Amino acid sequence: MDNEKNLTPEEITGAAETAAEAVPETAEAAAEPVKKSLSDPDHPVAKYVPDCAKPDVHEEHEVGEGMSPKEAMKIRMRNMNKEEIAYLRRKRIFEKCWPVFRFLILFGLGFVILTPLMFMISYAFRENQDMNDPTVMWIPRHLTLRIMKQTIDAMGLTNTENNPLINTLILNIGCSICQVVTCAITGYGFARFKFKGRNLLFGIVILQILVPTQIISIPLYSTFRNFLFGSVNLIDNMLVMYLPALTANGIRAGLMIFIFRQFFRGLPKELEDAAYLDGCGPFKTFIQVMVPNAASSFLTVFLFSIVWYWNDFYVASAFFTNKKTISLVLKNLDGTLNIAIFNNANANVSAREKIVWLEAACLISITPMLILYACLQKHFTEGIERSGLVG
Amino acid sequence: MKMPYERRKSLYGYGFIAIWAVGTVLWFLKPLIESLCYCFMDNATLKPDTGGMNKVWLGSVGQSWLTNFKFAFAADPEYKQKLIAVLKDTAITTPMILIFSLFIAVILNQEFKGRGFARAIFFLPVIIATGPVYNIINGDIASTGADSGAQFSTLFETDIVDELLEFLGVMNISDTLSSYINTVTTNIFGLVWSSGIQILIFLAALQNIPVSAKEAASMEGATSWEYFWKITLPYVSPMILANFIYTVIDSFTKSDNVVMARVLAKQLDWDYAYAAAMAWAYFAIVMVVVGIIVSIVNRFIFYEVE
Repeated sequence: MDNEKNLTPEEITGAAETAAEAVPETAEAAAEPVKKSLSDPDHPVAKYVPDCAKPDVHEEHEVGEGMSPKEAMKIRMRNMNKEEIAYLRRKRIFEKCWPVFRFLILFGLGFVILTPLMFMISYAFRENQDMNDPTVMWIPRHLTLRIMKQTIDAMGLTNTENNPLINTLILNIGCSICQVVTCAITGYGFARFKFKGRNLLFGIVILQILVPTQIISIPLYSTFRNFLFGSVNLIDNMLVMYLPALTANGIRAGLMIFIFRQFFRGLPKELEDAAYLDGCGPFKTFIQVMVPNAASSFLTVFLFSIVWYWNDFYVASAFFTNKKTISLVLKNLDGTLNIAIFNNANANVSAREKIVWLEAACLISITPMLILYACLQKHFTEGIERSGLVG
Repeated sequence: MKMPYERRKSLYGYGFIAIWAVGTVLWFLKPLIESLCYCFMDNATLKPDTGGMNKVWLGSVGQSWLTNFKFAFAADPEYKQKLIAVLKDTAITTPMILIFSLFIAVILNQEFKGRGFARAIFFLPVIIATGPVYNIINGDIASTGADSGAQFSTLFETDIVDELLEFLGVMNISDTLSSYINTVTTNIFGLVWSSGIQILIFLAALQNIPVSAKEAASMEGATSWEYFWKITLPYVSPMILANFIYTVIDSFTKSDNVVMARVLAKQLDWDYAYAAAMAWAYFAIVMVVVGIIVSIVNRFIFYEVE
């Protein structure tokens, strides 16, 4: 079944034909700077070109300087058969048309991605009566910050106690740092040491990637509820997020261990050998030699960890009852807004008008991530490419 | 120290993974096994009690061991129907996401003006789509869903595609095909928004194609079409499999997964045994299907020998 690796005989002859078509072109391109005719036996590519395919050029001056590309093309075409000319024509048409199609595809899909964002921005800064005005589509008639302010208050972002934003930040940054450090250590252990049962243990890491959180959340709840043999209740305590993160078992930790393992496996072994020879222990080697080399990988995983913790609502909703995080507030946005704004007797807001507040809340909750992405976009994308996740 | 070097190094290996091992036993293996046990426990008595769960095995109260699964599939009014809907949805969208993200990755890998900008936009879903915001912008929010959802989706759901299909006479060819095309076009929003990571992974794979392969292909005069089938596809094929698995796993934790929503609802009703049985049945079915597909597809995959 290796038809992808080895060419069949028909394909080889086919390839030879296409080669005959293509080679004069490339040969000519190479010939121009060298100023050697293809008929010249010393020419580097001449021996690969069949006689019939050689251009009818014997004098140096006929090729190269002073000739417009069109004329050069004409001379080249003189010796081609119909198929070759058709191939070139097809190629040229394709090269002309493709950028247009590419632009259309990318523009259309890019529009689909950006629409919700434009939608949010357009809706969040308008008065709610604009929703009933059929002439208003994208550009609001009454610009206002009132809706934003109301939503910020309703979400509790101005509270001094149990502020979702502060809760989220404490969880987010702390857990991400813990998780990146512990996952890196574990990933390094799997990448560079041989020990009994390594494959079995790594199988568990894969299992961690596969098993959805929903399955383990019930028993985990009872573990946290009766922590230390029933003496401590950890529900609503931030430790329910910190403890797993500290032991490389936080949100999507399996994936992070996997990424780090792939990355450390890709680093040259000589790096460590040199450190060992100089008398460094494995842990010192890891900190002083491997970590500096993995800086970009660390940053990428850290950023993804921040995003995942920011977006997580499942773990938070399972273990927090009173504590609020941004994504929890957003998940229960309807209820929150109903209590804070719409329950008022003077409110009298139609369902259509409510969209304004919803979009404002969405905008507020993703703005920090958007800013982070805008500033560090390179590290999000290039990090994955360089981290050796692939390969 | 007299211990041989190899032995010492393997001990250090255990040291490096020790933190993880402790955490895994506490926060992963123990809950995993417990939750598997819950599937075979009596739902009526499985309630939180002082010092843990009140556990009674189904067998010990004279009930069938599969009572919970029977309940999930036969008695529960919503589970079976939601499960079928989700499985069907996964089966349709996963290949679409894979094809789509490969297509976009190939385009984003070409040289053109504004490529950096285009990439930035296409990776944007990576940071947003895992969160609850996606639900809201997808028009699925719980109670006002009808209003905001319908309002929002009219932006995308045009009948142009239907009309075009009808105009071309494609509608008469095959109902399944045209309904598939219809799903793709009406769901283009969900498709674009759920393929961020997949595009990223494919793009990384595309950049790992050796330059020598590219040069050889262009010397042989390969057209872009041939290049795609003979060079690109074999080189990215391992990542197609990885992306396939990632897409399936991702569908578990998506906030619009109705089966998981049902499981969560059962948990909130204190029906822990039923919830565990439902979650495990779903997980097991998906994993068996994925396992079969992976083992079949694995034979056709080109692994570069190092």
